[in-house]
Amino acid sequence: MDLMDSLAISAAGMRVQGERLRVISENIANADSVSEAPGGDPYRRKTITFKNELDRQSGLDLVKVQKVGLDPSEFTRKYDPNNPAADKTGYVKLPNVNALIEMGDMREAQRSYEANLKVVDVARGMLQRTIDILR
Amino acid sequence: MDLFKIPLLQRMTERMAWLGAREKVLATNVANSDTPGYQPKDVVPLDFSDHLQKLAAVEPQRTNPLHMQGTIPAKDPIDSKKQKKPYETKPAGNSVVIEEQMMKLSQTQADYNEMVNLYRKHIDMLKTAIGRGQ
Repeated sequence: MDLMDSLAISAAGMRVQGERLRVISENIANADSVSEAPGGDPYRRKTITFKNELDRQSGLDLVKVQKVGLDPSEFTRKYDPNNPAADKTGYVKLPNVNALIEMGDMREAQRSYEANLKVVDVARGMLQRTIDILR
Repeated sequence: MDLFKIPLLQRMTERMAWLGAREKVLATNVANSDTPGYQPKDVVPLDFSDHLQKLAAVEPQRTNPLHMQGTIPAKDPIDSKKQKKPYETKPAGNSVVIEEQMMKLSQTQADYNEMVNLYRKHIDMLKTAIGRGQ
């Protein structure tokens, strides 16, 4: 039934946004995670992409996580000879996490989640009205 | 008495099925608001002339399971198409505008409520006619 289907579709949408938020929180939590070994690479920012794919079980096109990848952009370097992760010249590589970008992504995830939630509300309301015909 | 033999109720049921299908398409659009390369879709508007054309295409009745299906393919009665002119497209190729989808969604909801109310009123009239109304 179409209304039930739209509930399932929106639920899939909310699930991927939740997963996206998980990746974002991972990035923010690791914004200062430098390498354990001197001169090594620090935490690399993770990215997430979605795809619309046929779910064979339900026969619906549901949103799924395509890939949790790594951001290939360069690390910033900071002069800090006292840091245990510093290389021979005294520079430390810092993660390529930009707090502003993460905040922007987080807001977008929140908005999309809310939009999906609104669709669930509407679909549920329509179902309820259909059932109310019986009264 | 078969309620579906009443043309008005039949049309209303059809319209409600169409609105349900639209709700599903809009839900897909909103769920894919961050999917790269996704183009939003919308259902083809319900049109009476379409309906007539469908009536004109007569499909042979299958009275035995061994009979082969007619030449007219069993098509999904409610079609959805990609929107031709998206309002804006994000760099990743996604052109879902949440606001637009939300407007359509509330429109669908309002239309659905209208249909349900009309349906109930009609049933109430029938009940009055058979002497069981309020």
